[in-house]
Amino acid sequence: MNRALTVARLQFVAWPFVVGWPWGILALSFFINLALFASIGDIDPAPVTGGLASIYIVMLVASTQTIMQDFPFTIGLGVSRRSFYLGNLLQFTTQAIGYAAVLYLLAVVEEATGGWGIDLTFFGLPFLLVDNPVLRYLAFAIPFLLLGFLGIAIALVFKRWGVNGILTLTTATIVGFGGLGVLATWRGWWPAIGGWFADQPGGALLVGYPALLALPLAAASYLIIRRATP
Amino acid sequence: MSPVISVTDLTKRYRGGVTALDRVSFSLTENRIYGLLGRNGAGKTTLMQILTAQNFATSGEVRVFGEHPYENERVLARTSFIKESQTYPPVRVHHVLRAASLIHPGWDEEFAQQLVDDFRLPSRRNVRKLSRGMLSALGIIIGLASRAPLTFFDEPYLGLDAVARQIFYDRLLADYTEHPRTIVLSTHLIDEVSELIEHVLLIDAGRLLLDADAETLRGQVLTVSGPVASVDEFARTGTELHRVRLGGTARATVRGDFGPADHDRARTLGLALEASSLQDTVVRLTTATNGAAPAITGATSKEAHR
Repeated sequence: MNRALTVARLQFVAWPFVVGWPWGILALSFFINLALFASIGDIDPAPVTGGLASIYIVMLVASTQTIMQDFPFTIGLGVSRRSFYLGNLLQFTTQAIGYAAVLYLLAVVEEATGGWGIDLTFFGLPFLLVDNPVLRYLAFAIPFLLLGFLGIAIALVFKRWGVNGILTLTTATIVGFGGLGVLATWRGWWPAIGGWFADQPGGALLVGYPALLALPLAAASYLIIRRATP
Repeated sequence: MSPVISVTDLTKRYRGGVTALDRVSFSLTENRIYGLLGRNGAGKTTLMQILTAQNFATSGEVRVFGEHPYENERVLARTSFIKESQTYPPVRVHHVLRAASLIHPGWDEEFAQQLVDDFRLPSRRNVRKLSRGMLSALGIIIGLASRAPLTFFDEPYLGLDAVARQIFYDRLLADYTEHPRTIVLSTHLIDEVSELIEHVLLIDAGRLLLDADAETLRGQVLTVSGPVASVDEFARTGTELHRVRLGGTARATVRGDFGPADHDRARTLGLALEASSLQDTVVRLTTATNGAAPAITGATSKEAHR
């Protein structure tokens, strides 16, 4: 466990790189949106941007880099795969907790200032369905973990099985989703599927299901990394 | 004293049928400098990767500090493996050193800083912008300053100039004398390190050809030159590894258990006698064993030009 803590600390050795990129890009996106909508003036309905997604996308990219760059380096320094994995789990969780708290605060500020004075929704969640403050906080945090584990799992497939592994995974995904799409169209299930999504509470869509997806990804990643070579 | 490393019948076959290691067995004792020698593709890197649990054996037994290294922090925390192919995340040099200092319990920061100065490494520069030689120097600094009880250097000098290589050998020897530890040095620049190496492991095509004390080996391999008949006569006392003929004279590399009596006999036969360098020994042993005819021809023509 000590070594896992060390690995988690390793990630923050170059903290300007780790923290700077996601927040720098998010800030850039925010100010561009602010300038843009401020110069347009009154719009109806009030503008909702997708800019918040940028920090989650950076997280996805950063998690693949964890496997592509940090894995060979850290294992090369002499750490077990288990410690490397647990250390990153710890680091991701810490990051998700911290980042979600900042985003939550920014969303509160956004509401209090009437959307930065111009009715802009940037940090506010796309679904106004989440009222409970705890669920609202988790709705910021859990997607970080989901994307983190998704990036790790995909990069590990590449690390362990190479290009063939990625191609197999892509093929399986296309066949799987495509097959389900064909099946749903053929059986006329689309209205029922749409209705099911509409019936789900916001908390389930932003917290519950991402968490349910993140868990098997985390478990699969652990099994793959145990036999991966740097 | 229990060995630091013991390897029994270690075999590694890669997919596609390449046998990188073929039933290799040996053991390394504490606090010595080992030279792991062999041609490109001989299996040196694979061996070190398996010993540090970065790769997996097909069959056979590996013990490091008495335990299996796979997922074993007790073993890995005492091991440092510096390899030519090591990649780094795109951070600054001082970040990499900081990371290494966190991982290695025996890290000496003062020594690391001194080495950074010795190698003139720009510590604020991003590792992606380092030259090949600087990258090698970074690896060497990590390997030395980590002071790991078991340290592997896998051709750590790529792109390093002669001065920097000499600094590496000097610092390695000085620090080893002060802080004894087990060092495995894999290298192609055999002449440069022959003074450093205390024990030689030679592998070729995945098989262990030689596992010998360097000092003992020095007296065992001799190069004799003189009239063909006399060379023939002397060569019978050992195993002839290599021969060059030039008219009526010959020059042969012979391996055997030679003593002062044999030296006297060579002189009586009118032969010039010299101990082969470690590099010559390794080359001759490798080419003699796998019977690589073209290699011997090449060596002969080169020798003949002298």
